[in-house]
Amino acid sequence: MDEFQTGLVELLPRLRRFARVLRPHDADAQDLVQQTVERALASRSKFRDGTRLDSWTFTVMRRIAIDEGRSILRWGRVVAAEDDATVRVADPSQADENLRADALAARDAIHALPDDQRHAVALVLVEGLSYAEAAKVLGVPAGTLTSRLVRGRQSLIQTLAEQGVTG
Amino acid sequence: MTRLDDEILMRRVDGELGQTEAAAVDAAAEADPTIAARIAALRRTRTAAAEAFPAATDARDRDLARMIAASRRPSLFEGIGGALAEAFAPRRAMIWGGLATAAFVGGLALGPLLGGRSEGLRVEGGALADAGLVRVLDRRLNADGTDGAGRSVGLTFRDGEGRWCRTFRAAEAGVAGLACRRDDGWAMQVLAPLAPSSGDIRMAGSDTPEAVLDVVDATIAGETLGAADEAQARNGGWRQQSAGVSRQP
Repeated sequence: MDEFQTGLVELLPRLRRFARVLRPHDADAQDLVQQTVERALASRSKFRDGTRLDSWTFTVMRRIAIDEGRSILRWGRVVAAEDDATVRVADPSQADENLRADALAARDAIHALPDDQRHAVALVLVEGLSYAEAAKVLGVPAGTLTSRLVRGRQSLIQTLAEQGVTG
Repeated sequence: MTRLDDEILMRRVDGELGQTEAAAVDAAAEADPTIAARIAALRRTRTAAAEAFPAATDARDRDLARMIAASRRPSLFEGIGGALAEAFAPRRAMIWGGLATAAFVGGLALGPLLGGRSEGLRVEGGALADAGLVRVLDRRLNADGTDGAGRSVGLTFRDGEGRWCRTFRAAEAGVAGLACRRDDGWAMQVLAPLAPSSGDIRMAGSDTPEAVLDVVDATIAGETLGAADEAQARNGGWRQQSAGVSRQP
């Protein structure tokens, strides 16, 4: 494997993690990871040396998620939603039992955020990108990223406080 | 001392402040328990988010790793083609900076600069003269998406002098840019080539080239508008803000 391939393999756990913030259901997250890897491989001639592979690949995933999100939303109105409990039980890799109750509450709170705030939270708080890198991935001005992040965090603080999660 | 709002406290927690600013925030937190508590709450969101989404290995990653390992490198031809495309369509490059070149732009058709595309955007002395694009900037909302010629607007905001500015994409001409309201028209601030759209990574409709975003960052005062405010600004005829910041006689 060359450097690009090795880098992509090493990124897989982070890609999966980012996908799970974007897509609450495990099967959807897996689809998103798969599509991202396929598109990253097909587009690798467009990857420039000196670019961060993680930011580049997150950008690929974010674009797929936006496109998919629109059709998923449309389908959601047509197809009856699966029962949430069924999905969780049927989900082999969620490993919920290993997460503390606090972490589960935080996950639900993050999933409940509006898309734009959730994406900012995912890139900065979960993936540890700088504000500048996160803004680039999302294709928004730095100030927009910052205000989304503030709003997302404020509602996380409030939700977790209401649920008595103290961290 | 400036008001310590959540944004500056959040920047402190995330290591996005310079040393001096960070020290000022720390001193304020030492003197004021409410500030210290707010910092602690913001810091907890960071740990909570990280714990909520641990990076874990997954059995399915092995299949993906095999797929990655089996993928072929781009051929030499593709590599050269990519390099040529890069040389002729530098995505990051700004091809027109209004302030720097306004002096000689009178009536310039940009087509030839854009790799022989059929249609360029005419810029006359910095004022936008392309009737179709002017109409789009005047009337179209972000939520309307693209018109028949692939034109759309992205972000709408005010600059430091209260004038309205809007980013736009003109897919047929292969450019994106930023224009701000001046007199009764739109003055071009920056124009940059769109990434080639034939690639596997399609630009999502909301994407703006970095060169344009950099100018947005330098121009914007406050925040970008949401849908309702955008419609209201349009219906108000993009009037310059008269209170406070504008220079009234």
